[in-house]
Amino acid sequence: MAGKVAAREQITLRGSASIVSEFFSYGINSILYQRGIYPPESFTREQKYGLTMLVTTDPILNNYLKNVVGQLKDWLCNHFVQRLVVVINSIETNEVLERWQFDIECDKTMTENSQPREKSEKAIQDEIRSVIRQITATVTFLPLLDAACSFDLLIYTDKDLEVPEKWEESGPQFINNSEEVRLRSFTTTIHKVNSMVAYKKIDSF
Amino acid sequence: RRAVEGWRAAAGRSREFGESVRREIQAASGRWTGASCKAGYRMDDLGENTTVFSTLRSFNNFLSEGSAPLPRSSEPSSTSRMLQLQYEQMIQAEEQAEYVRSHSRIIEVEREKQKMEVSHKRARIELEKAAQTSSWNYEREADRNLELITQVKHMQEKEAEVVAKLKDQIDVNKSLKEDLGLQSKKLQDKEEKHAETNQMIDVLKSKISEQQRKQMNQEMQLTTLSTERQELLEQVEVQRKKWQEAVQRSQVLEAAQVVIAEKEQRLKDLENKITQQEQDSVIVKNMRSDLARIPELEKELRQLKEKNAYCKEMEDNNSLLKEEMESLRKKLQRLEKVKEEKVTLELEKEKLLAKLQSWENVEQTSGLNIRSPEDLSREIVLLQQRELVLKQQNSSVTTSARMLEKTRQQLQDEVLKLRTQLLSEQKKREQQEANARRMEKRNILLIKARDGMKGILDSYDNELVTNYSPQLNRRAREAEDMAQELHAHISELELEAELSVLQSQLAITDRSITNEEGNVLRQKIEELEAERSRLDQANKVLEMKLERYTLQGDYDPTKTKVLHFSMNPWSLAKEHRITEEKSLKEECEHLRERVQILEGGAVPEQGGSQTNLPPSQEIAEMRKQVNSAELKNQRLKEVFQKKIQEFRAVCYTLTGYKIDVTTENQYKLSSMYAEHQDDYLMFKFIIHVPDEFHRFLAR
Repeated sequence: MAGKVAAREQITLRGSASIVSEFFSYGINSILYQRGIYPPESFTREQKYGLTMLVTTDPILNNYLKNVVGQLKDWLCNHFVQRLVVVINSIETNEVLERWQFDIECDKTMTENSQPREKSEKAIQDEIRSVIRQITATVTFLPLLDAACSFDLLIYTDKDLEVPEKWEESGPQFINNSEEVRLRSFTTTIHKVNSMVAYKKIDSF
Repeated sequence: RRAVEGWRAAAGRSREFGESVRREIQAASGRWTGASCKAGYRMDDLGENTTVFSTLRSFNNFLSEGSAPLPRSSEPSSTSRMLQLQYEQMIQAEEQAEYVRSHSRIIEVEREKQKMEVSHKRARIELEKAAQTSSWNYEREADRNLELITQVKHMQEKEAEVVAKLKDQIDVNKSLKEDLGLQSKKLQDKEEKHAETNQMIDVLKSKISEQQRKQMNQEMQLTTLSTERQELLEQVEVQRKKWQEAVQRSQVLEAAQVVIAEKEQRLKDLENKITQQEQDSVIVKNMRSDLARIPELEKELRQLKEKNAYCKEMEDNNSLLKEEMESLRKKLQRLEKVKEEKVTLELEKEKLLAKLQSWENVEQTSGLNIRSPEDLSREIVLLQQRELVLKQQNSSVTTSARMLEKTRQQLQDEVLKLRTQLLSEQKKREQQEANARRMEKRNILLIKARDGMKGILDSYDNELVTNYSPQLNRRAREAEDMAQELHAHISELELEAELSVLQSQLAITDRSITNEEGNVLRQKIEELEAERSRLDQANKVLEMKLERYTLQGDYDPTKTKVLHFSMNPWSLAKEHRITEEKSLKEECEHLRERVQILEGGAVPEQGGSQTNLPPSQEIAEMRKQVNSAELKNQRLKEVFQKKIQEFRAVCYTLTGYKIDVTTENQYKLSSMYAEHQDDYLMFKFIIHVPDEFHRFLAR
């Protein structure tokens, strides 16, 4: 595997892109399970990052995630991606209830042929683990999602990027009257991922 | 209680007697145990009266035996022996007699004791009875006492009540008396009123008599009037008869008028009919003419229909053509737009070509090695980098210049400060020199004074003048004056010194006024610093806002765009929802139709879907079943009715009794041979049979 992490202590651009896209794949699955978008019995357990991660077994959903994450990985190698957003909205009222936003800061000087950077895979895994734990912990203060919900993945890219087939432009899907919380971040020294969650304020008072 | 005590005393005494008797018996038995061992009597054998008799008989036998050998006592040797034997026998007999006596005594005593015990028991029983009776009596007495006490209390209460009632009665009496008084007063008033009314009555009576007189007069008038009335009545009757005749005539006239009116109406109707007939004839003529025209009209109709069809076709064609035209127009518009766009694009292309050429010329004009935009961009990057470097240098230079200026200003300030300090110190020095001079002068004066004093004192010491005191006083006064003058002088000098100090300060303040420009600059610096802090705060606020917007997901549309996968779960969920809704609505409609059909119960429309047919068949079958069941029910009812009537008739004829059901569970039994219809027996049917009857039946 020519682009992968050659030694445990060194990261290349490709390797960083694969780590980040893998994190997104598991993170999105974790969010879908925690927020109950899909029934919990449709998830199966896998070991990753030293945790028991829940991954969906729904074939349509899996196919969709594979497509999106694959395209994302490609774009990460070319520094086109700025942000990934998981938008959770109610099917009935069509309004956005939650927004999980992951900002990606990439070092533009890093290319395919640059020198690999020094950072141990274990350290990155520890950081990713703390992020995922924090995502799980946010469930405690997020408002309950009563109605049936669905989700969508938005990717913020450079303006002049060519839109591939099967993709289309969309609106940013803001939440009006929202409460935001900034979560932890992790970095591979090539890509830095900042996480935050915005949710619709419950006006019950 | 006394009886009990007496009984107890008697019992004690009987016990003591018994014990004494026993002791005697024991003593006697103790005496006789040695003597009566042969006899073998027991002390417990008290009830045996036969022993007494047996001992008596033996005693009598012994005595007869004893008396018989007495006449034979002739021999001297045997007589002594015989005497001795007789003596011994006599002693034995005496002893036996004593024994018997004591035994009899014992028996008597024991008998008495038995009697005593019996009597004792009787007495005890009687005493118990007496005690019981007395206790009962006592209880009765106690109860009676309680009753009497309660009665007493009752009586007391009653007394209290009675007393209270008495009081009430007394109060009532008082009130009644008061009422009586009031009522008597009222009576008096009423009597007075009565008197008044009587007076009124007299007055009224007089009036009545007057009225009667008037009435008499009026009656007379009445009679006259009545005679007049009768005359008038007769006249009235005559008039009435005339009126009746008139009425009859009028009636006849009215009848004639009615007949006339009817006839006139008939005339009018006939006239109308005639006009109508004339109109009808005219219409008939027109109709005939119309009928003649009908075939022509039919032909025209056919032609018109053909024309109509043709026109419709034409219309359709027209609409089609119009649509085509509109589409062509739209196409035209689009093509025109495309043309314009093409034109603009060509212009842009020319512009871009021009730009390209210019860019290509740049290569020639700028003299750099540029062949492609990449080179240009590289050059630009290089220039930007150079610019950045230069800017950095510039900024570093400016910062160094600023720092240098700052240091220069600081040094200038320091110089100024030092100069002012110098001047102030110079002044101080001058003042102090002046002070020193004055002090020296004072010193000299003081030394002079001291010397003078010393000389005076030495002169005084040297001179032997007796009277020192006035001169000393004078000198002392002079010295005091001198001292005061010196004090005044010193205070003046001190004042002058203070004045000089103040003047030096004024000089310093004068110097400070010359530093106005520095103050202005300082104020400016403060303003700038305040503005800087404000700008910092504004900056922070803006940064926070920016952070918030980035958290909310804001982005710069000129640099970023948002993409998502077309086949995303949200859109799939929306479509799914829409299809679900449609299917649910269709199902709803279906079900509503079905419900209507079921409720209507009509023959199901064959035009419906296949699913309607089987249920309607089921429904028909169900209905048939229901009808058949109802028919069966009806028939059963009729049959039952007939049968029961038959049965009841048969019962009546055979037994002679008829049973009718009047109300629920009540039956009326009437006989064939009853004399009246009211002779019947009523029975009630109880479902719950009593237990005794059940047991009876079971047995």
